[in-house]
Amino acid sequence: MPSVKITLLIVVSLGIFFVSLFLGPTLISPFSPDPIEKEILFSIRMPRVIIAFLIGIALGTSGAVLQGILRNPLADPYVLGISSGAAFTAALSLLSGFYILGKFTLPLSAFAGACTASIMVGIFGWKRGNLLPERLLLAGIGLGFLFYSAMMLLVSISTSEGMRRTVLWIFGDLSMADWSVIPYGLVFIASGLGISLLRAKALNALILGDEMAHSLGFSVQKERLLLFISVALMTGASVSLGGTIGFIGLIIPHMVRFFVGANSRYVIPVSALCGGGFLSISDLIGKTLLSPMEIPAGIITALIGSPYFLYLLRRRDVFQG
Amino acid sequence: MSSRADLPILELSEVGFGYDRNASFISSLSCSILNGQFIGLLGANGSGKSTILKLASGILKPSTGQVTLWGKSLHQYRQKDRAKLISYLPQFLDMHIPFTVRELVSMGLYPYDILPDMTAEEAMELVGLRRKADIPIAQLSGGERRRAFIAMTLLQGSGLVLLDEPLVNLDIKFQLEIYRLLKELQKQKNISILMALHDMNFAMQFEAVMLIKQGSILGAGTPEEVLTKDTIRDAFDVDVTVRKQDSGEMIISYTRNTGERLQD
Amino acid sequence: MISFLLFSVFLTTLSLCSPSPLLAAPPERIISLAPNVTEILFAIGLGDRLTGVTQFCDYPEEAKKKPKVGGMSNPSLEAVISLKPDIVILTTDGNPKEFEERLRSLKIRTSIFRARRLQELPAGIRELGAELRVQDKADALAKKIEDALTRVSFHQKRFPDRKKILFVIWPEPLIIAGRGTVIDDVIALFGQENVAAQAKTSYPKYSVEEVLRQSPDIIFIGKGHTEIREMSEGFLNKISLAPAVKKGKVFFLSDNLYRMGPRILMGIEEMAACLQ
Repeated sequence: MPSVKITLLIVVSLGIFFVSLFLGPTLISPFSPDPIEKEILFSIRMPRVIIAFLIGIALGTSGAVLQGILRNPLADPYVLGISSGAAFTAALSLLSGFYILGKFTLPLSAFAGACTASIMVGIFGWKRGNLLPERLLLAGIGLGFLFYSAMMLLVSISTSEGMRRTVLWIFGDLSMADWSVIPYGLVFIASGLGISLLRAKALNALILGDEMAHSLGFSVQKERLLLFISVALMTGASVSLGGTIGFIGLIIPHMVRFFVGANSRYVIPVSALCGGGFLSISDLIGKTLLSPMEIPAGIITALIGSPYFLYLLRRRDVFQG
Repeated sequence: MSSRADLPILELSEVGFGYDRNASFISSLSCSILNGQFIGLLGANGSGKSTILKLASGILKPSTGQVTLWGKSLHQYRQKDRAKLISYLPQFLDMHIPFTVRELVSMGLYPYDILPDMTAEEAMELVGLRRKADIPIAQLSGGERRRAFIAMTLLQGSGLVLLDEPLVNLDIKFQLEIYRLLKELQKQKNISILMALHDMNFAMQFEAVMLIKQGSILGAGTPEEVLTKDTIRDAFDVDVTVRKQDSGEMIISYTRNTGERLQD
Repeated sequence: MISFLLFSVFLTTLSLCSPSPLLAAPPERIISLAPNVTEILFAIGLGDRLTGVTQFCDYPEEAKKKPKVGGMSNPSLEAVISLKPDIVILTTDGNPKEFEERLRSLKIRTSIFRARRLQELPAGIRELGAELRVQDKADALAKKIEDALTRVSFHQKRFPDRKKILFVIWPEPLIIAGRGTVIDDVIALFGQENVAAQAKTSYPKYSVEEVLRQSPDIIFIGKGHTEIREMSEGFLNKISLAPAVKKGKVFFLSDNLYRMGPRILMGIEEMAACLQ
């Protein structure tokens, strides 16, 4: 893949970033904003666009990595139960009214849940000194159901208004975007992305199979564990920033493979950029379409993404085999 | 033959291994691969060919005994250094991988930080896939896929190549082509090859073979020495006749199966 | 996906049809499937005959001691039946229509409290009183509410300038009271403007930047006695340029206005106090 394409993609992403800033329920002129518009720009729109990009990057990358390490084209960041773990602890904190950490309570409890779920999935997926793809996948599905039903139990026995809040949160929602949570989200997502980019060759080798990866000089256990940790970091951080947003993690990597091939060294960065750009466009549409009402971005991603994906599927053979 | 001809590259000494903690599958197996040797590994299904190749490549760790590569324990090598010295191509390859031929073959360079002598283009040329470089592996025929993997293994450029049944699913033409290719490379670059196969007539072309039964070696040497009526009956449970043709080639023909193994 | 279904059931508003009240004996065992109905029943002196309530029925204090039959969207049929009710009272807000049909098919008498808007409340109470044979007390309560509403409309001139009001149900994500809600009715009663009136649904998820742009003069936040007060900090920070925040016109109200019953009067007074 020529670097021209990558450059083009970076330019387009930057373009989307600025378009999302100035377009919206109402157009803000970048040249002469009045004080209210300035406030809207800097304390409402900018953190929101940044968070949309961060979440999109995290989900696009995690999807690309997971489909590789689990050797399964249907894997997505939520299949490992990480999001259910996060949703459970988030619901716990919302419904119990536990609020000692102020506005960090929700993101931190969600992140704690994501970490707990990841560690549990890791333990169940571990056998004979190795993380086994099938075990990981099944453990993730099992734990996902467990956490999900625990959360539904909480919601159904709860009498607090936190219930509706919980449900909205599970749908994924970017309207809570706030500068204060960005630095910590950035740290986790950037380190996850960094690990994935550095280990892209190892990911390619793992896609060939464990024995081939060994023959090519990779420590299969170490590489899969590292990549799994990077996915857990990114997914956990993204869920805690904006709830669960579907579609991106599953479909974006497939779409990207259409255009740049399967080499993870391109699939990872391109999935990251496309995921980020796509989520911010979706959010832009979601908040503009029925303004002043808002439609959660996660619904828009699936509504525009799925038909396009089905169209590509008819045109070409995605899974190549 | 070079002066290092009889240096052992890889040595398995008194290696024991079991997939189950209680039962050992291989107990005290010793053998060595000398520099520049091309050895055929023969044995019935389940006799331990794949296990021996996996022990030799370091995928499996022996429970007793030692595997040494150039005199140093295999498991003391850094992964990448090991990969520069040994490459291994498993019998069961995932053919639904999403890569193109070029992408796959290029992965043979992963152990290297600098570019080695051969390029991906040359490797594809060697196996006759250069024209299909940008076609996804999944769209190739079974034989072409196999050849693409072999090109990757060749590009890896290690001195010892372990191949588990690489000729399976190939037309006889490609079987011969790949065998000749490997043989040529072995001569040119003085690499050593250990290759599992199960066509005994094919094995007759090898300079050296090793016959395996239940994790131990029944015989090692030239095909004529090793593959006799008695050893074949012992290893495969079939009756054969071994005849020498006028041209000097050996032919093994199967007469009937003797045991009850196939009936239960 | 399951949560989505649950959510839609939770929000579904259904119009139910009730069988005509027959000349049966006054019901002795009553089950209420909505908190506001429970409050009305206590107010018209039927607290003793109330046999079962939902887990959301928390007012008055005695209501909490009544046997529970589950939530509003998912009451337990078995719990209802085992309490052997003479009548079950449902609302069009929050109780599933199917549940009412199920009860009727089991020959359990049902009654539906239909009032959803402020002006419909007195009539709703009277209808309920007729059904339960306590016309006099119901009529008295309805009259009290009618008088209060007239009084407030009459005193509208006490708040001459029309102010822009935002009523926050939940701060993050922002959910506000829109058109067609009791809260919208109360704001209109005071002659004020609800900034969310152009939103098309009752409780829309609303755009924060739109709030800032519409610059509300007064912000009410519902149920301020719980953790909502702390949760609102982030939201209020974001709209710190809005006149309401700058001038300190942000008020935390109790849940009085959330209950379409006698307490609505207290809610109206609460809001009136903030508007002065």
